Amino acid sequence: MVFKKWRHTRPFFGAILTVLSGLMILWVPLNLYLSTFLPGSVAVIGLMFGGLITLMGLMSFFLPSASKALGIIVIFLSILSVIGALGGFLFGTIFGIIGGALLTAWQMVPAQESAGAPVADAAAQAAKTG
Amino acid sequence: MNGAVVMESKTNKKAFWGALAAGLLALGILLVSFGVSGVAYAVPIAGVGDFYVEFDKLEGEGYKFYPKLGETSSSDAAPQGTNIIEKLTIDNLQLYKDFQVGGEWIRVKIQASKPVQISGLQHDAGLIEANAKFQNLALAENNSTDWTKQFQQTSSTIILENAKLKTHYLFQETINMAGMKLTVEKIDKK
Repeated sequence: MVFKKWRHTRPFFGAILTVLSGLMILWVPLNLYLSTFLPGSVAVIGLMFGGLITLMGLMSFFLPSASKALGIIVIFLSILSVIGALGGFLFGTIFGIIGGALLTAWQMVPAQESAGAPVADAAAQAAKTG
Repeated sequence: MNGAVVMESKTNKKAFWGALAAGLLALGILLVSFGVSGVAYAVPIAGVGDFYVEFDKLEGEGYKFYPKLGETSSSDAAPQGTNIIEKLTIDNLQLYKDFQVGGEWIRVKIQASKPVQISGLQHDAGLIEANAKFQNLALAENNSTDWTKQFQQTSSTIILENAKLKTHYLFQETINMAGMKLTVEKIDKK
């Protein structure tokens, strides 16, 4: 299937977790819309962190080759989002760290090297990355 | 097809656990540093509805009060007053909210045994009972079609003692609650 092939050529679950984490982090400052935009409010930072994490998640769908760098930035921003957005009540931070770690650890390897498993379904697995 | 290298997606377990551990460690360090200093940033206690704030003494600087209509847990628009205080210290602070669960009342209470320092406080209250002292107190009426701007009260310092405030919305930019304790208990309510 086309979707399965597409999914197997990028850090799919890492990106999904990262987008979820970004949305959770955004939820807190968006609920404070009255005070968020007051001058001097820290919640604006939360809005920025949440937005950036969501963007990183979406970017890793379309730029899989940059996933290592994106993952590191996601972990960093997720931790900082505790300031200003309470890290999506910490769930956003935890999801962000796991998603970021998955993005960082994701790689494309020649099929023969994969943990002893024979290339069973070459049609589904075969793909080249840029 | 002989020249094409078949590639597949793989998660490097070692890198994953390494990144996860590093992330959690950094988070731990951040939280511990908050714990040590007792500072939480941008803390909202909104949408909880009517809850009560009680304390022995509050000393604040840069006080401003104006009336407004705002949301409570039982009404979309209830008359209330907004208090804005730039910097304040509160002794023996207690925040509590009572919930009816079945036939019983449950009280969720947060209290701080040591003085609490807050900056950037916005507090919407429906009732304020306290012994109050002000410096440079100014009450001003303004000619405005917006009723919330017709009356304003400002003072350079404010001291409230033995206060009880019925609160609808509370927002602090930073709060330092040393010796915080949260309890959930059953209460008798008539």
